[in-house]
Amino acid sequence: MAKSSGHEAKPSQGFWAESWRYYRRNYRAMAALAFVFALSLIALSAPMIVGTKPIVCKYKGNLYYPMMGYYNNRWEPSIFHQDRFRKRYPENLKKNDPDSWAIWPLVFQDPNRRVHEDEWPGQPGNELAEKGIPNKYNLMGTDIDGYDVFARLVHGTKTALLVGFVSMGIASVIGITVGAAAGFLGGWVDVLLSRLIEFVICIPSLVLILALLAIIDQVTIWHLMAVIGATGWTGIARLTRAEFLKIKQLEYVTAAKALGAGSTRIMFVHILRNSMAPILVPITFGIASAILTESALSFLGFGAPPPNPSWGTLLSQGRSNIQDMWWLIVYPGLAIFFTVLAYNLIGEGIQEATDPRTREAK
Amino acid sequence: MYRFGSYLLVTSLCLTMLGCSSDDLNVTKGSDANSNTTTTATSLTDEDLYKPILLPFDAPPLAELDAKVTWVDQPVWNPYEILKDKLDETEPLTEVKTALSLRNDYPISKVNNEKIKSALGRGPISNKQVDYEATLTRRVGGDAKTTNPIMVSSTTDFDVSSLINMELFGFDWNMTPFANSEYVKSWQTSESLLYEKITLRNDIYWEDGTQVTAHDVVFSFQTILNPEIPIPATRTGTDLIRWIEAYDDFTIIIFHPEASPVNIWNINFPVIAKHIYEKTIPDDKSLKSSDAHRELEKNPLESGPYRLIDRSFDQELVFERREEYYMVNGKQVRDKPYFKKIRLRIMKDPNTAIIALKSGEIEEMEITAEHWNTQANDDDFYKLNTKATATEWVSFHFCWNCKSKFFQDLKVRQAMGFAFDHEELLDKMFKGLYAPSNGPFHPKAWMAPKNPPPFLKQDLDKAEDLLDEAGWGDSNFDGVRDKMINGKRVDFEFNVLCSQSPTSKRVSTLLKESLDQIGIICHVKTLEFTVLQQYNLDGNFDATFGGWGTGTDPYLTENIFGTGKKRNYGKYSSAKVDQLYKQGLAEFDKEKRAAIYGDIHQTLYADQPYTWLFYRNSFYGFNKRLRGYYFSPRGPYNYNPGFYSVWAAASE
Repeated sequence: MAKSSGHEAKPSQGFWAESWRYYRRNYRAMAALAFVFALSLIALSAPMIVGTKPIVCKYKGNLYYPMMGYYNNRWEPSIFHQDRFRKRYPENLKKNDPDSWAIWPLVFQDPNRRVHEDEWPGQPGNELAEKGIPNKYNLMGTDIDGYDVFARLVHGTKTALLVGFVSMGIASVIGITVGAAAGFLGGWVDVLLSRLIEFVICIPSLVLILALLAIIDQVTIWHLMAVIGATGWTGIARLTRAEFLKIKQLEYVTAAKALGAGSTRIMFVHILRNSMAPILVPITFGIASAILTESALSFLGFGAPPPNPSWGTLLSQGRSNIQDMWWLIVYPGLAIFFTVLAYNLIGEGIQEATDPRTREAK
Repeated sequence: MYRFGSYLLVTSLCLTMLGCSSDDLNVTKGSDANSNTTTTATSLTDEDLYKPILLPFDAPPLAELDAKVTWVDQPVWNPYEILKDKLDETEPLTEVKTALSLRNDYPISKVNNEKIKSALGRGPISNKQVDYEATLTRRVGGDAKTTNPIMVSSTTDFDVSSLINMELFGFDWNMTPFANSEYVKSWQTSESLLYEKITLRNDIYWEDGTQVTAHDVVFSFQTILNPEIPIPATRTGTDLIRWIEAYDDFTIIIFHPEASPVNIWNINFPVIAKHIYEKTIPDDKSLKSSDAHRELEKNPLESGPYRLIDRSFDQELVFERREEYYMVNGKQVRDKPYFKKIRLRIMKDPNTAIIALKSGEIEEMEITAEHWNTQANDDDFYKLNTKATATEWVSFHFCWNCKSKFFQDLKVRQAMGFAFDHEELLDKMFKGLYAPSNGPFHPKAWMAPKNPPPFLKQDLDKAEDLLDEAGWGDSNFDGVRDKMINGKRVDFEFNVLCSQSPTSKRVSTLLKESLDQIGIICHVKTLEFTVLQQYNLDGNFDATFGGWGTGTDPYLTENIFGTGKKRNYGKYSSAKVDQLYKQGLAEFDKEKRAAIYGDIHQTLYADQPYTWLFYRNSFYGFNKRLRGYYFSPRGPYNYNPGFYSVWAAASE
């Protein structure tokens, strides 16, 4: 630490804290951030919001968490399987153990099946198709098989968020590595990698994704993320390259070189840190576009296998029943719209907050 | 006439694997699948391709044959007349006018559906009722791949072929085969069932004015069996004929290799013009590439009731009635086809199609079950149209792989039948539109058992007991059933394969849900149709969802359940069933044959190589001016006269 002279100077906040300060001033970006944060909470706690399995229950003297079954089939306590509950808890809990108690999700509906009559005492069975208009039991109606749309939306949040984060995670790793190598090493490496980037940009990504998916045996949501990530890195790579080209000329890089730092160290420790801000922007926009792509794929019927609750799948059902079942278009459509909007606002917020020119203008 | 010749053999020999490629089409156009399947399954493996199919044969002189053989007359019928006779047996249930004003509320009440079919599904009483100048616009699900009748493979190919080509044989709504009197003068079979003698009429002409002769038939037969020509579908069945000889311009003898009650199903094949193709084929064995063949694709040489006059790729095909088809030398020699023009509009998406039907842009289409009570039920629909439905013998099932570690045990297969929620499927998902199925033959078919086995109902207790008995308990207490196999613990977790059609996905997802309740993990794996077909043919699956259309004779199901047969996807094997199929082919008495096939039905039900689910109805929307549609177990078109019985009423 530099020695302070005389009076206590307030230490400089540093780039990131400064940016955060500017970001907080942008109320739209903050709302968007809160929205995404809320979505993450919803995604994590989906089985507690809507489900047909108790969050926690006391059964035959022990505490169980049957809702874990929504995260992984095998996490559902096996005692309920042994006692032939068959995933119908309310009735069987009382029948098999009158002393049992349970804490239930807020809404008794299931994302992966139709809820039948009196599964929950007094609750009517879900209607199917055009009869499944929104009502107090099915807040957003039901789809053609009588699955609750609200339950599918809530449980589908996980898919939408995961797709965004994982695919952009992959894209960032590829994009930053390629961009950094091209920008820093220059020469023929730069020429080759730049052509590679241009080549990948030229390929219509949706078509490439469809082609890649045709090769994959059993398509899961993870494949989709991998493919979206593997095609969506070009914007990141170009920006990284440009940043690297600029920063590698700076004196501190020369200093680092003089001190004997290796290329990798300079690239990823010294330069990358300082080029992170502009790179964050395309990543945020990328998340939005990844969510759209996943929805589009599911819409086209190439998404994750049924009955995976994905927003795009719901939309796709809505398309074939557009004249009778508006709720299949409106609710998932809104969910996708707001999520994508939120990411775009966040991206914009980061851009404004990190770029000295725009933040001075505020 | 409609779907004759090639159709017959194609659809008959290789039943239908349904659930084909493009979404709703599968469900809507069962016959799409028909032909698709046929193409993949019966066409060319390498070994087929260059094997000489036709070995030289010394046909005996006709006089010698006549002296040796006792000929028995076979039916030569006019398809219009047999249907008219059949319909005249019953009085219409209501007036045409009333029928047109009815709303078809099937399945809530079946009365109106019957009334509509009975009043509107009739031929004209007099010619004045018919608008012979009418143009009919039909919907087809995809473009034709060819206009050459021996190269057909897709449904639209068949539709086109049946409009522009003559077809010597056909079968009625009971699947009774007959020769078409519009083209055939007489048809006789030897008592030994080894020979068929066919005399053609002498007033059939190709579009260029050349007469159609017996030599065209022989030439077509030899072309279809020419190993150098890549024939996609029509070779199946035809290759079971030993030889065909033309003794003069109109007399043909067909030689069968052995006596069989089902030989008749092999003798239908399309006929092409010898005087044209004998010149063009030597230059281009593909029948597609040479200029001459390309020109013939564009302007095929017609011999049937219609000629192709216009074609826009992926949009429409337009046909015009050939006046010289029914008028020869100024004399009417055949029935006049009802429509002056027929347009086949290509509309892949059923949603688009139904909007077109409502606006009158098309006048006929197969409606999806999903649309029956929604899109096809509003005032807009009834303004111009009416609709009708009938059971089609197209049954759907889960096929269990009897060689798989999960399903080799009969108890497990039975458990699957009890686990599945049949009620949810039939009453909720399909809203009572489809009937349940319990085996390979439709309950109303002549070969179905007299005391049919019950339809399965969901019984989870029974299913779980059966699984426990079969050793699939939950030994590691993770809620998923498992079993020690060869010292390794195997979880009961498998894939069920299905096509990408929404119906297939929905039914398979319901299985997943049902099994989830009893501790079995089932993944729904959707595959593109041709890929699915390959998995099925290779037996590379644990369970697969599919459907079969009905063949024309029950012996055809041997291909599905006989040991080692091509379409026996699940590798089911039963000595008893194999034996019964043999008996069925050796038996000539229809009653006794029925008993044999009934026995097969019962045995299969007991062995449960399939969990049979439902029969799909055919649902059709028709413009109100159309009349004469009569539903057979293969739908309103795929029999004789089928499509040709449809006519447009003249405005009063």
